[in-house]
Amino acid sequence: MELLTALTIGTLFAIGVFQLLRRNVIRSAIGLVILANAVNLFLLTTGAYLGEDPAYATYTGVGQRIADPLPQALILTAIVISMGGTAFVLAMLYIISARYQTANMDDVDNLKN
Amino acid sequence: MTQTTLLLAPLITLLLGTAVGFAFSHPTLNARLPITRQAWLLALFPLIAFIILLLPVPALNEGQIFLWRIEWLPSFGLQLGLYYDSWSALFALIITFIGVLIVIYAGQYFNGQQDAWRFQVYTLLFMTSMLGLVMAGDVLTLFIFWEGTSITSYLLIAYKYKDPEARAGAFRSLFITGGGGIALLAGLLFVSYVSGSTQWTEILSSGDQLRSSEFYNVMLALVAFGAFAKSAQFPAHIWLPGAMSAPTPASAYLHSATMVKAGIYLMARLNPALGFTSQWFFLLTVVGMATMLCGAYLGLKQKDLKGLLAYSTIAQLGILMMLIGQEDEESYKALVIGIVAHALYKSALFMVAGIIDHETGTRDITRLGGLRRAMPVSFAIALLAGLSMAGLPPMFGFLAKETLLAATLHPNLQPVLAAVSVFTGALMLAQAGLFVIDTFLGQPRDPTVHAHEAPQTMLLSPAIPAALSLIIVLLPGPKEESAFLAAAAAAAFGSKVKVSLALFHGLNAPLLLSIIAITLGSVIWYFRWPLRAWQDRLGATLTFNRLYTGVLAAMDKGGFVATRLQQGKLRTYLVIMILAAVSLVFFFMGWPTYSLAGLTWPGLDFPGEMALLRFFSLLVVTGSALATLVLNRDFYAILAMSAMGLGTAVWFVLEPAPDVALVQIVVDILSLVILVLTLAKLPRAQRLKAQRMRWAERPSRPLLLRDAIASIAIGCVVALITLTALTSRPRLSQVTPYYIANAKEETGAADIVGAIIVDFRAMDTLIEITVFSLAGLGVFTLLNYAARTHGDHAQGEKKVRRTFSTLGIGGRRASPFLRAPAYALLPVALVLGIVQMMFGHDQPGDGFTAGVVIGLAVALWYVVFGYTETRARLPWLRASALIAVGVLLAIVNGIIVTLFTDHFLGNVDYGELVGLPLPGGFHISSSFLFEIAICLAVLGSATHMLNALGHPGEEEEGTA
Repeated sequence: MELLTALTIGTLFAIGVFQLLRRNVIRSAIGLVILANAVNLFLLTTGAYLGEDPAYATYTGVGQRIADPLPQALILTAIVISMGGTAFVLAMLYIISARYQTANMDDVDNLKN
Repeated sequence: MTQTTLLLAPLITLLLGTAVGFAFSHPTLNARLPITRQAWLLALFPLIAFIILLLPVPALNEGQIFLWRIEWLPSFGLQLGLYYDSWSALFALIITFIGVLIVIYAGQYFNGQQDAWRFQVYTLLFMTSMLGLVMAGDVLTLFIFWEGTSITSYLLIAYKYKDPEARAGAFRSLFITGGGGIALLAGLLFVSYVSGSTQWTEILSSGDQLRSSEFYNVMLALVAFGAFAKSAQFPAHIWLPGAMSAPTPASAYLHSATMVKAGIYLMARLNPALGFTSQWFFLLTVVGMATMLCGAYLGLKQKDLKGLLAYSTIAQLGILMMLIGQEDEESYKALVIGIVAHALYKSALFMVAGIIDHETGTRDITRLGGLRRAMPVSFAIALLAGLSMAGLPPMFGFLAKETLLAATLHPNLQPVLAAVSVFTGALMLAQAGLFVIDTFLGQPRDPTVHAHEAPQTMLLSPAIPAALSLIIVLLPGPKEESAFLAAAAAAAFGSKVKVSLALFHGLNAPLLLSIIAITLGSVIWYFRWPLRAWQDRLGATLTFNRLYTGVLAAMDKGGFVATRLQQGKLRTYLVIMILAAVSLVFFFMGWPTYSLAGLTWPGLDFPGEMALLRFFSLLVVTGSALATLVLNRDFYAILAMSAMGLGTAVWFVLEPAPDVALVQIVVDILSLVILVLTLAKLPRAQRLKAQRMRWAERPSRPLLLRDAIASIAIGCVVALITLTALTSRPRLSQVTPYYIANAKEETGAADIVGAIIVDFRAMDTLIEITVFSLAGLGVFTLLNYAARTHGDHAQGEKKVRRTFSTLGIGGRRASPFLRAPAYALLPVALVLGIVQMMFGHDQPGDGFTAGVVIGLAVALWYVVFGYTETRARLPWLRASALIAVGVLLAIVNGIIVTLFTDHFLGNVDYGELVGLPLPGGFHISSSFLFEIAICLAVLGSATHMLNALGHPGEEEEGTA
């Protein structure tokens, strides 16, 4: 199962990056969301993998394996932040499309001047 | 008066003055007082500072040093401190004294230009920085104020910012002095590293340690470079003439008495620590002499009065720098006298130049002449100051030159120094002649120049220093005067110096040299026109502007080459970055060597249905991610992406991480809504074009391959890291057991993840909601900006119509079967959100989920009822206000809690304190308030996003 999990996260990462590299701005946005999800899953694997019970104080002492709450809290923060970031990126993509009259990233080539 | 007040009061007074000056930016206040009167008022502040700084002079004369210090970052050994000894006092008094005159003079100079409050504010700010520089007690404080003078002087020089010359001059001065500042910082860090302290008190007493250090040469070079750049030493002197495009009051202040002396101040200050070595002697002597010659030579050929003064200032700065290099009593005596004499006569001459410019309209020497009839008082002032500059008796300048020549005659020194000094003195005399005789005497050269005398108040400011140039030597006042100069020289020299202000010491060698200088100077002045013509023929080869432009051009060239590498396609950069990151991982970690022995492929042991479900979620996630690649229409791809997010949520549930899963689900749906809204906003033609181009275009095949390689490479790396993380690390993190053990007692929360979010790491959460709020505000601002600049119509919280088109978001009418549930859903969502917040401590869910759930209900309204109707029906939904209330509530709540627990964002159960009967599991605690704050901020931000992206574009509204 470990191998499969690792492979899945790697695949998600690859797909996310590949989508991010598309010229279509909507695909880039999709890539960003996929990447964010992949990173969150990756963070999850740094916690106790295959816990049996959620991290609740009422469960302590029973001798069960509980999931590690710390990465979960960090993921919670990460989800929120990446959501805010995605919204901001989308607004920016919209402005770029309005300014350059295109949804193709490669047409946006005079940003440096 | 205690040391602290004594040292802080002058700086605070000047800052107060700045604030008062800034208050005049207000139009009504400004209109009430003419700029001349404003100047009188503002001049009071430097005057008070001057008096406060004068008070401790008797104590300073006895060698006392005033200190003040606060710890800034004690863990890094950083302090801020002030240090006031005689050497600082010499400069501090000059700065504030001339400062008073300049502020008054500027009022007259800008008479009628009411917007000159800006100039006064810059001047007072500069004065504060300069005063702080000479009173700084440690390396760090010095550097901060040093940079402060660079920046404020930039503002002053570029005051006439519409003039390209002024901007160029200002940039040049900032470029050179700022570059010097960086070198200085590096040098001073070496100094404090070797001496083990950043304090002057320690540094000045660890001279032996510094001189014997292996870093001595490096630190000397760096510090000297900074000081040379600031004090316009050869070849960094080129910024000073360029800075003459500043308004004259600024030139009179910065370039005679204050800023250019900063380097002199610093080098002499460091003399006890870094001086007394042959490197020190040669560096300062050679650079000083080169500067003297260069300034004196180039000054003679100037046509502009201010240019002439600028170059003679350079020459004088060279003299002072050279004197610091000579390690004997006589030189330091000449140094202090030279500083004071120069500050007095040069500020007076600059101000006279400003008056001439003001009253005749030109500063061109070849057009001026015979001004004495029209401007008798200005002539008298110029004569006094000019005599002092020329070094003629009975002026202070004569004394300065006498002592200088006496210093150069010291047996240790080579005769070349005396010769250079005599020659420089002669050239300066000729320049003074040009300034006074050729401008005020003789016949007018240009009949179109009409002159009249300046108002008396304008003449007051130059008259005072000019008169002082005479009075100080004629009436060698109280003994304190010479004692003060002696103490200042001693502070810089490191041991006792005797100073007398008597004009004549009998017939001796210095007097003889002085006579030679005067004679030579007169001869040069007599042949001034042929000499100037010869200089012009020699050409501009001697200016170092070419070096400066060369450096700038090289930087531009480098920039050009760098931009060639940047072809502007972000995708290419991303590929390069990814491949670089991958190679770095393999380069440093090596090829993975651990065995996969314990792992079996595919390892589907299925001990229970949970593992089966896990396998299922894994399949969903991978499959839907792949689907985003394969599906051709963007809309379907977005749906697939959303499905992938839900699959992730299932994964989270199985972890088990119920809180995370809940947030993941609501966020996934909100992302979906926002993405679809954006998609709807993009023009259809653009979308289709971008969509079609995905696979079809043949030429993009190699690029496709490149992208695929980069993606697969990074995917492999991530998979390897994940595998390592999963197989080879201890299970719980270090701090987790603490959280598990203490969550219930310390936070009253059974849900440990919730406890971490709102209590243990509440600061993180506070920052997180701030970021999320900023994202919402950012979306709103961006789209507003786009609306304004690209002809889209105005958005935001504008007035809405009362009649509704009852059209949904795509301009289509929504079915009643959708409208009815939408009505019902919002109150349900509100209740759900409140319950989430009430019991989030013991159950999955928190303020964030609550905010997003309510936000989703609102999103449904947008979709079903359209933008206009939603905005009209939900007047309480004011995004910015919600954000403001939420973030403020979070912060205020955190602060109030500190009253109970001493911890910012700690935990207090208010309900229990008051003894309210509440249902089980619900606590009116600070955490509950924090949850509400989170909910409000998130709802506000989500509303902003929906508002901005859900707003109908022009075409939709046209159909409505």
